[in-house]
Formats: sequence, structure tokens, C-alpha cells
Amino acid sequence: MMNLTKQIREQAKKLLEEKKVDLVIGFGQGTELARTTPVFIDSPEGVSALTWGPFCANNLAKYLVDYKNAPGNVAIVVKGCDSRSVIRLLDDNQISRDKIVVIGVPCAGQLEWQKVADEVKPDATLKETVDNGDSFVVKTSTGDHTFNKKDYMLHRCLVCENPNPVIADFTIGEELPVKNYAERFAEVEELEQLGLEEKSAYWDKQFSRCLRCYACRNVCSVCTCELCVFDQMKPMWVSKRTNLSENTVFHITRAFHVAGRCVDCGECDRVCPMDIPIRKLNQKIHKDLKDLFDSPTPGSKEGLLSALGEFSLGDPEEFM
Amino acid sequence: MKAKIVNKGQLSGLLDKLAKDYDLVAPVKEETITLFKKISSAQDAFLDYTNSDVSPKGCFLPQSEKIFSYTYTGDSLEIVKPESAKKTVLFGARPCDIKAITTLDPVFEGEKFGDEFYSSKRENTVIIGLSCSKVLSTCFCYAFGGGPCDGTGSDLLFTEIGDKYYVEINTDKGQALVDANSQFFSSESTDQLAKDKEELAKKLAGEFVKKVDLTGVKELLDSDFELAYWDEDPYKKCIGCGTCTYVCPTCHCFDIFDFTTGDITGDRIRCWDSCMYPEYTLMAGGHNPRPTRKERIRNRFMHKLKYHLDRYNMVGCVGCGRCIRKCPVNIDITKIINDLKEVAQNA
Repeated sequence: MMNLTKQIREQAKKLLEEKKVDLVIGFGQGTELARTTPVFIDSPEGVSALTWGPFCANNLAKYLVDYKNAPGNVAIVVKGCDSRSVIRLLDDNQISRDKIVVIGVPCAGQLEWQKVADEVKPDATLKETVDNGDSFVVKTSTGDHTFNKKDYMLHRCLVCENPNPVIADFTIGEELPVKNYAERFAEVEELEQLGLEEKSAYWDKQFSRCLRCYACRNVCSVCTCELCVFDQMKPMWVSKRTNLSENTVFHITRAFHVAGRCVDCGECDRVCPMDIPIRKLNQKIHKDLKDLFDSPTPGSKEGLLSALGEFSLGDPEEFM
Repeated sequence: MKAKIVNKGQLSGLLDKLAKDYDLVAPVKEETITLFKKISSAQDAFLDYTNSDVSPKGCFLPQSEKIFSYTYTGDSLEIVKPESAKKTVLFGARPCDIKAITTLDPVFEGEKFGDEFYSSKRENTVIIGLSCSKVLSTCFCYAFGGGPCDGTGSDLLFTEIGDKYYVEINTDKGQALVDANSQFFSSESTDQLAKDKEELAKKLAGEFVKKVDLTGVKELLDSDFELAYWDEDPYKKCIGCGTCTYVCPTCHCFDIFDFTTGDITGDRIRCWDSCMYPEYTLMAGGHNPRPTRKERIRNRFMHKLKYHLDRYNMVGCVGCGRCIRKCPVNIDITKIINDLKEVAQNA
């Protein structure tokens, strides 16, 4: 994937040199072998910090909101799933199209860094990563490792609707075929089979672990309220007290607030320090929206209205 | 130093006995997460872990804690205090997390601002540590004088060696627990295990990957509050969640508020707060002295590397590495320390 890294750097350099943008937001090598970290490049000399590979899990699109009122334009490196966020941010009027330059990179999947770290020597350094179709080869200073995608990819990557960015001013590398390693709603369907009490017990167990760190909210590219209801002091709709009741209110409210806008990038799942399967809540909503309104995944096309922001006479309304 | 041996076959008997005599708090595994919880039998304990996802600081500073309940009846206000702390054993905590508790002690047990909720739990708890058997790529306890087999702060320290635990008795509290449960502690010679433990400590000390150099960092932070460094990368990538502060074993900020139901009955609650949150420093009049993530990030690292030292002569970090592992955007305190060292050198 060194070739793609080189092309991203060249593209970023060109944009900065030609003053098309003042800032490029992309992925840089992190402090762990199998991690990258967001980098903010503001000069052509800085582009060597950019990298690409199977450790670029972060969805960087949310950072665009930080720069919406800053002077100058911003370029951003996105994967397919992240590009859906860009479209949603545009549709939500959070950012303006003429201020951003989208560098899209077709994505062959992202590995779960901790699973990789468990198998690589702690003092190893990363040399190169190679995509071999159903696996990645991670070449390190202490040897090469092969990671099957099915077993080592982030859970969200097992089903990928858009390996190729759905919006891009520049596309780096070749487009990739859609390849799935699981059924999209298999886990939700499994949960749907449970009885009411079993479902409740399942989620009680998950929510009771919640630390209320709000990483899931903060990382979410469609959570863009300037003052979030959970930060509001007067009135205090939800208190800082952690218990099952307050935690449940938080999770259910969060899930429903992004209903119809959630782009299913899976970042909430990735960042949860307590491994709460937060994305499942939104996947249930995605499934219902698909079943009831045949809604495409939000952000997957430009100009889509959100399912809850659109009314059609043919909409089902069995509960009325 | 006094020491004993517990044969592995005896451990579950000991834990079951402790669970009967005390509230026993030990690491447990819930799906993929390791955390500390009260257990009722030895089989619930999960000891084959490297570092728990959440530290055991909640034993002394719970994430949410009732300070008192109140009822207003129209002409009088009735206050009910919670029950006093129960006799507790914290079993299986790692050396870094126990050292972290010693950094909380001066905050809550200082002469000026003693905190009865903390100190009653602290007094009533026996801490039994468990030496590490593995060093993670994110570990750096050595940088602050700790170590994978360091007994600082523990009443007893268990170190797993073959089919035995070598048990160091570090305090009178620890000795009393051993005396009261002597049937589980073998009185065979501990000389060989003492040597084995030293070997293990030496071996593990050589396995740290994170290189941390604090040279000049404190002096730099002392000299300049407005360092240009804080305008750089870290705050730009920070997403402002509270993960680092909530998984941190030394972070101890809290908020206090009343949780009232309609008829003026309720609880006064103390709960963890995070300096990463915008409302943390929000004043009643609307002014916020730390208005952006830049000031908040600066505060967090200043607290770890300067303020705690200024106040208590202890670094506010023990090198457990949780914040590195859990940060969604890979903000790494060891990188920040090393960056600051560079800044200091080039100044």
C-alpha cells in the first residue's frame, strides 16, 4: 500500500502548493505499530507525515466541522464509509462544498489494531502492508504476519456497502469490488428473535457498563449540535450520575437522535472503551428504515433526504 | 521483609473465605472487558489479565456515590447518611493501579481537606496486589519509579511463580489478614521464591517498549504556561470525550449535585467529572476559562506532569497506559512527554 501512500502525499502536496487548500486532514503513523492517528498538514513539506493502509480506521469527516468557520479550504482523506459522512454533513448544512476538497481512497478493509498488536512483538516497527484480497500481510522489523480479513478486520468492515468513496474530488488508486464476509443485519435479526425480557436483560448488561465518557457521541459525524442535551446543565435532562436508568436514557436518546442520519460508519463501536455494541442500536433503526421505507443508507448518495425528514403518501402508518 | 507462600490449589479456598468475611472486590471478565467488581465466590475472579479496562480506583472513589439522602417534609429537613464503609478486600490489583491509589491519598486524606467518604473506605480496605506477568506495548510504569512487581501501596503482594504465589507482607494490615487466614498460607521457606521473584522483576523490566524521558519537562511547564506546543497537533485531534480521564487510575475530579424527585426527596450525589468536558469549568455567569480543547488538553497534561507534583510531590501518572490504548485518536502521553522534552532541549 506504499504506492497509495505516495499518491496521497503527492495529491496533498499539490493542493497545498497550489494554495487550493490551507490544510490537509489525513492519517499519520500512530505511536503503536498497528495504529494511525489523525494528522493536520498545513505545508507542502509536511505531507511526508501522511500514510495509508489497513490501520486507518478513524472517520476524519467530523473534523470538517471544526474548520467550518476557519478561513481557507480544507482537504480531507476519506474511505468509502467516511465519504457518506461528508455527504451527510453537506446535506445537514454543517459544511459548505466549496470549502472542502475530498481525497477519496478505495478501502480494502481496516484491521482491529489490538488484535494485530496481540500477535506482533511489542517492539516491532512497521515496514509495509500489502492487500492480498482476503488477507493483509503486515511486514514488520521482526517478521511478516498474515491477517485474514474475516478474523482480524473491524467488525463493521465485514459488511461494507461502499469500499469506494461516494463523493471525491480526487480518487487515489483503483476502485475495489464490494466484498462481504457476513450478512448485514444478521446480528440484529438474532436480537429480534429474543423475547422482551431477554432483550431487556441483554441491553441492561451492556448499558450498565457505560462510563458515560461520550466518546461514541463525540466521534459521531452526525452528532453536530452546538449544545448537546447531555451537556446541558439547566435543565439537566440527564444527570451525570451513572446508573442503569440514566445510562439507558443516554444510549436510547443518542441512537434515536441520529436515526435517519446515521451513516453506519461504525465509529461508535470502535471507540467505546467498554465494548458496548452501540452500533447494533443504530443497525436496528437502519433495518427498520429499510423494511418500512426502503431507505438507502444515509449519505450513500448526494441529495438524499433523511427518512425522518421526508414524507410520502405511500409511507406505511400501521400504528395510526 | 516477611513473606509467605500460597499454593495455587489453596487460592480459591482463600478467596471464598475472604468473600465470606469481607466485601471481596476482584477483577472479573464481562464479555471482552475486565473490570473490578464485588464477587461472592472465587470462581468469579478473573486473574489471567494483563491490565483491566477500568482501574480499581472506584473502590475508593466510586463513579457515582451517594453522600446523603434528604426528605423535606414542609417544616423540617431530614438527612440520612449512607452506611459506613464495609470491611473490604481489594484482590488482584496491578502494581500501577495500587501506586495510583497512593497518588489519590494526599488529595482526599490531606490535613486541610479530609474526605470522610474516601478515607473510611481506604481505612476499611485491605489491598492485595498481583504482580504482572507480562508487559504490554503501552506500559511505562518504570518511568515513574514503579515496576511490574512493585509492592508500593499494597498490604500484601502476590507474585505468581510456577504453581505457587509468593506473598510479600508489606503492612500490619496485611499481616493481620494472613494471621486470620493462616490455614491457606504455607510456612515453607520462601528463599527460593524470593530469588525467583527478583529474576522475574528483572526480566519484565527489560521488556518495556515505550521510552519515556522526563528530563526538563517539569521545568519547562513551570516556566511557560503558554507554550506554543499546545497550539500543535494534540488538541486538533482530540475529540473531547472523557475516555482518558475515566479509565485513568489517578484522575479524581468529581462533581456534586442533588438528584431531586418532585416531592423534595432525593440524594446528594458525587460523581466523576472530566476536565475534557466543556462544562467542567463553565461558570455560572457563562464564562469559561477553558473555552476550547486546547486549554483542556493543556490542563490534563499539566495536571499529570506539573500540578500534582507541585501539590503533593508525586507525578500524577503511573504509566498504566490505559489512556494510550483507549484514546479514539491515539493521543499518547508518552509522545507528549517526549515532545515536551525536545521542546525543553531546544529552548
